Amino acid sequence: MDLQGNSQPELGKLEQIVSQFLLKSLHIILDSRVPSCHPHGCSQDLSSASRVRKSDKWFALVLGDHPAALDNLNFWHRNLMDPMIIDIIPVHEGSKSMGESVETVIERWVVQYEYPRKTYKKSIILLRALYSQMRLLPAYKIFRQLSRSSQTYNFDIIYKVPSFGDPFSRVDKEMMEEHSFNHLEAFPVRLCIFVAYRKTLTDFNLEPSTSLPPKIITDYVGSPNIDPLRSFPSSEKGVRAISFPLRGVRSPSPVPFQRPRSWTSGFHRVAFSAQNQPIVGSPPSYRPSALPYDYPSPPTDIYGLLVMMIISFHLHSLHLHPRLLRHTSPLVILCKHVYIHKLILNSRYLSPNSSDPSRSSLPPLSSRSRNIEPSSEESPYGTTIRDSKDDSGWFLRLLSSSCSPHIRFSRSSSRLSFQDDLDDNVFSSPFDVDDVDALDIQVSHNFDGKKASKFTSQSLPIVTKSQDVVVGVLVHMLRTAPPLRQDSCCYSSHSMKTELEEGVPTASGFFMPRKTANALEELRSFIEMKDLLLSKSGTRVVSKDDF
Amino acid sequence: MNCEVCQLKELEVEHYEIREVLRCILHTIVFHRALGLVRPKDIDLELFDITYVQCGDEDLEKKIEEKIEQFIGWVEKHPNKKSQICLSFYEVKNRQPSWFTNKIERLYWEQWYVNWNVAQHPKAHSSKSHHSKVVLDPGESALEETNARRAALEASLREALFQIIKFVNEKKDHVPPIPNPEGVVYFPYEITIPSSSDSTFGMDMIKRMLQTGHPTMLS
Repeated sequence: MDLQGNSQPELGKLEQIVSQFLLKSLHIILDSRVPSCHPHGCSQDLSSASRVRKSDKWFALVLGDHPAALDNLNFWHRNLMDPMIIDIIPVHEGSKSMGESVETVIERWVVQYEYPRKTYKKSIILLRALYSQMRLLPAYKIFRQLSRSSQTYNFDIIYKVPSFGDPFSRVDKEMMEEHSFNHLEAFPVRLCIFVAYRKTLTDFNLEPSTSLPPKIITDYVGSPNIDPLRSFPSSEKGVRAISFPLRGVRSPSPVPFQRPRSWTSGFHRVAFSAQNQPIVGSPPSYRPSALPYDYPSPPTDIYGLLVMMIISFHLHSLHLHPRLLRHTSPLVILCKHVYIHKLILNSRYLSPNSSDPSRSSLPPLSSRSRNIEPSSEESPYGTTIRDSKDDSGWFLRLLSSSCSPHIRFSRSSSRLSFQDDLDDNVFSSPFDVDDVDALDIQVSHNFDGKKASKFTSQSLPIVTKSQDVVVGVLVHMLRTAPPLRQDSCCYSSHSMKTELEEGVPTASGFFMPRKTANALEELRSFIEMKDLLLSKSGTRVVSKDDF
Repeated sequence: MNCEVCQLKELEVEHYEIREVLRCILHTIVFHRALGLVRPKDIDLELFDITYVQCGDEDLEKKIEEKIEQFIGWVEKHPNKKSQICLSFYEVKNRQPSWFTNKIERLYWEQWYVNWNVAQHPKAHSSKSHHSKVVLDPGESALEETNARRAALEASLREALFQIIKFVNEKKDHVPPIPNPEGVVYFPYEITIPSSSDSTFGMDMIKRMLQTGHPTMLS
């Protein structure tokens, strides 16, 4: 049987099968080799509750969200009958910027589909075999290291889909093994997947990155958006930064202090000096060269600060990705402020239009009005807190402004926007993207407790869908959030030390048991903060610039 | 239609390793034969550095777990014996009354034999046992031996998985048409574990041979 005898509709179906097969193959390969192409990390939940897309039904294999690279397949692979070659290449740090690097192919996949006919069932089996084989080859191990480990490594994995595969050198050939997924026998049908892979990857020196010496920022003032409950060992750093700069506090030497932040989305610029304020809490340290960024106005009184801290803590239990929670990214701030608004409304502490910048006394002074002063500065990303009754509007305004530009965070050199050396604490509840169908947030697991000083990120989560969807997602997250009560089962240590060995790997992520020592430390930090704020209350003028 | 048979290489395991190894092998086989819409689920073995794929179907997981428990129970009663588990895929044919067969005739089109050599049961170990999980003599030699045995088992398991993938790719023509597009596992299957007595187990295998018309399963 030859193709010339086929009718046009049948030919169209065949082409569709071929293109879908190539798409599926590429999806399987990229999903198992390139961390940046693996959405939502390795813990993607493909449970039955997930929506099944049309593309998932092809070959009866649900793979979930596909990498954006698949959208360009038509460009890469104009002739569907040409073999599709996919090279998997580890790239070392530094080689990207240097521009010169010897790219060694550790795996080469060749997918060729010719004259498909009555092979759909068999192609299903072939793709299943491909899926299994991807996890048995040596390269899967390093993919797992990059995807799941909280350490940073000195390498990344990229892929190339060349028009033709450069032949391997003799040396490379000797180090590679070949495997061919048996092609279909029936003439003229031919379906073939071939892989050449390195038997061992020990030559590539794929190791965790060495951390830079931690830099002690003596006048660092932490952000309320950073988890204040995370301990920051004073023995190592010597300085413990305060979690919340206080509104209305004016230091004797009002030198604007621009603290580096993990993102630069244009929130209020912080002007705060911690010289006269003993600092508590343990925010992460940043690279001093990171651009400062701003924060929306926080609550100013003690109660508000404590609420913020509690919220920050419990937001970790929400289905938010730890990477987001660790940084003052717009999404995190949005979540926290929405939460704050809800709590404030419930607590009746809020005076919506209060403009009294003075700080209140200690909680739980129910008669005291809390002050959330609208920011005096217009953030480039829109206004922040306005009215508690109008929080949805504020939220949408902020969201709309923070949604642009869409910045993709990727560790792949092929899609480099922001280099990221985020510290990523493993959490018991990873970001639940199954409900966030609209959010296309890509993060890579990159945690190194020893690299607190390197902690900086200029990456932003990707918000590519409509605002309404995002709002819906956040509302859902807030609804499903656990009560405001420390739960030892869900809390994960935010110590900057590497405590992964205490984690219990599960199918969906890691579970970090909380230590009593951590709880005691947090309690001490609370007490210290309380004492600090007590001592400072009523004696300082609230500064307009706030975090 | 002929019945394709795959004899996996014998695995030497200890009692506590049976569950993980058997689960890995059975799920891997079924994943390649469950042609329904599957949501692949990567599972990392705890004892070995191997990742395998499950279909993500709860019913299937439950059935496999039940069989694994039955097999472990059989192993506990028959320690230090070689055994075999058979995973069969079949078609349901028209009922033909026969003194030898059940009412429903099953036409087996593929059979997988997982061969086991379970090490001595930990409870029945002697003080000089080298295979006991509880090492009475925690010398370095015993530890090294355990590690070596574990590494060998991991290599054997990995080889078995490659063997499965190779087999499913080489043999496709005998796979029957998809009968009824419901559920994940389209084809009926059964998992046969050794019964209470070896003789009965052997009789079951002979029965199956006669039903399928396969000359012999013994290679």
